[in-house]
Amino acid sequence: MLLTAGALSATFGLSSLNDSKLAGGAAIAIVILGLSWLIGWSGQVSLGNSGFMAVGGYVTAIWANHHTATPIIFSLCLAMLCGALSGLIIALPATRLRGPYLAGMTLAFSFAVGPLALYFPSITGGSGGLFLNFLNAPNWFLNLFSGPQALVQANAQWSADLSIVVAAVAFFFMANLFHSRTGRAMRLVRDNDVAAELAGVNLQRTRTLAFVISAAYAGLGGSLLTLLSGSVNSQMYSLQLSILLLTLMVLGGVGTLGGAVIGGLIYSYSDNLVSLVNKLTGINPTSSLGANLKGVFFGVLLILTMLLAPKGLGGLGARIANMANRLRPASMRAPTRE
Amino acid sequence: MLIVGALSLASIGTGVVVGVSGAGASGSTPGVTARTITIGATVPISGLAKGYAEVSASAAAVFNYVNKHGGINGRKIKYLRLDDCYNIAALGCALPPTLTPTLDQTRALVTQDNVFATVGSLGTAAQDSVLAYLNQNHVPDLFVNSGSSDWNQAKYPLLFGFQPSYQAESKIFAKWITSHMPNAVIGTLGQGDDFGANGLAGLLAGGLNILPSNQLVYNPANVVNPPALQAELVQRITTLKTNGATVVVLDAIPPVVNGILQIAHSLSYTPQWVISSVGSDPLGVNTSLEVGAITFNYLPATNDAKNVWNKWVRKVIANDPTRTTDFPNFYSGANAGILDANMLYGSSYAVAFCEALKSLGKNPTRAGIVKAMTTVKFATPSTTPLLYSAGNHQGLQGGGLATVVANSNPANPPQFANYLNSTTYTTGDYSNTAVVAHKTIVSPIPSWLK
Repeated sequence: MLLTAGALSATFGLSSLNDSKLAGGAAIAIVILGLSWLIGWSGQVSLGNSGFMAVGGYVTAIWANHHTATPIIFSLCLAMLCGALSGLIIALPATRLRGPYLAGMTLAFSFAVGPLALYFPSITGGSGGLFLNFLNAPNWFLNLFSGPQALVQANAQWSADLSIVVAAVAFFFMANLFHSRTGRAMRLVRDNDVAAELAGVNLQRTRTLAFVISAAYAGLGGSLLTLLSGSVNSQMYSLQLSILLLTLMVLGGVGTLGGAVIGGLIYSYSDNLVSLVNKLTGINPTSSLGANLKGVFFGVLLILTMLLAPKGLGGLGARIANMANRLRPASMRAPTRE
Repeated sequence: MLIVGALSLASIGTGVVVGVSGAGASGSTPGVTARTITIGATVPISGLAKGYAEVSASAAAVFNYVNKHGGINGRKIKYLRLDDCYNIAALGCALPPTLTPTLDQTRALVTQDNVFATVGSLGTAAQDSVLAYLNQNHVPDLFVNSGSSDWNQAKYPLLFGFQPSYQAESKIFAKWITSHMPNAVIGTLGQGDDFGANGLAGLLAGGLNILPSNQLVYNPANVVNPPALQAELVQRITTLKTNGATVVVLDAIPPVVNGILQIAHSLSYTPQWVISSVGSDPLGVNTSLEVGAITFNYLPATNDAKNVWNKWVRKVIANDPTRTTDFPNFYSGANAGILDANMLYGSSYAVAFCEALKSLGKNPTRAGIVKAMTTVKFATPSTTPLLYSAGNHQGLQGGGLATVVANSNPANPPQFANYLNSTTYTTGDYSNTAVVAHKTIVSPIPSWLK
């Protein structure tokens, strides 16, 4: 709650460009959180979450183009529901698979989304995709701004604040899920499915639930991104995005709320990071080396993280906090967390 | 619950217009200071369409030239060209991973650089993705570089195109085909998106009879997958050959046109090629197989050394401080010294913008520039008049027919396309407007530009 209030008040001070970046980052953080839940807590790999994002995105756009005014909360819930449904459909075969076979199946789903969208152009707008109106800041919010760029600033900040609130709600539910019976059952299934079964946990149902929740979160993130960018097309939600989500999740730290937030922030500020690397190395960004640098950069970052900080940057933060804790006299130490 | 309440209040959907009155509408104009006016464009500088970077680089050269001669009404023009990779963040794109490159860069122009207007942004799909955003934020979007009719929409009053629409071009092709090859069997091979669809619609609106089995497309996504594209094109061209098409109209981009010509040659298939201006620049297509193809042009022929605008553009390019990096092929290589269509295109819209801006006098405003677009009598290199009206924001309404001519050394690929005659044609998008013939115009260069 405190973090959300802090983030919201921060948006008042930030420039419009930062507001837009944070908005996108919040949406991606939601998707990463869902993926993190699936991979970190239930031990199932998915390379197909961009596909569930596409479902959420298309549903939002199609609905918006057929109805004049829809409360945002309805659009987001609809997208989550459709994401969950598509997750269920994929989960039915997927949860019977393990390891590389599961990954392959979700990969296939990721590949299928693009051509499927092109196959039904009257619904999906074909390769051009669909467009919808942007989120307009309401008058009462607009009146908080003044100056020649008031409209621009208001619209940007409205998007950012809305995204942060949605992300906060999504994170709140996930935090509860982590510490619930369902969460514990997930981890048991992940670590030792035989023991889980003996303890009376329904393996199939638990794994399916993990998939469905992960897909629902991806649908929510996709829907939010579509509202923020005013468009959806199949090129946006490709295999490359699925891989990027995995990368950001690992960089931030699997299975943690903080990790998903860090992943989202890295996404928001990736162009600043890449510019920094260009500046430090003196490489011309439009040369062929420069143009491919960003791929190299993320790849190297991923490898370094897995070698030096397997729990991601979030885990690194926690480790530093633990080390600092141990340096204190015993009476002043905070209780260590897992 | 408060959160739910707030979310419920916010609505989305088509047709919802939030009335903006008062707050923020008054005050100084974004992008305008006492000495400068800042405009921007999102253009492909890296990535698969980086060949088009030259277009906006030419515009930048014009603005630079104008600035050196005192600017417009005492203000220098600051032109920010941001790379959007044609909205496809792959294939050598220099941008970090993002789902919406064009929107991100447009946001940067609007929120960070506070541009007065966007001028000369390029690409149909790329620009479609930012129309609503620019409109929402009241930013004029001028001279969009694309032949789509999407820039001519009543719901976007601040939006203007530049080049003639694909439909208009195709209706003019249809007129040529009907008069020169009345008994031809016509085939079409177009890009499987609006470009190809609009081109085909124009041919049909122009009265051509094309069998559905001869109306073919290639998947635009395959442009980034050469083996898949090759396989697809072979299949399409074989179909056209089998069906006996004697005229084939191509709505494709230069590298694909090259592929099509090569494949047809390997199949010993030699129809009369009719190629959209988008994909016919001989310097881009780069094969002798293009000689004899019919194409369309609305700017001076690049080999017309007497044309006043060609001479002027040469002068402007030669004075551009970054000319050797912006126009590498002009300064070295087999085609050194040869103007290309991209240079004329970019120079044309830049000249038009300067003329519109000049008409506003000392205090340019966004409302002012939008009005000027429909009232100023433009004098640009184009061979038909550049005309906007309240009901038509497309821009050029037509052009003339040209043919690709052989290089003086037949061993080398062609470099030029000559106009067939001094007739140009104008028309609307649909069958309800006739194709009207005119004499080619050469607008005099305004004295303040020389």
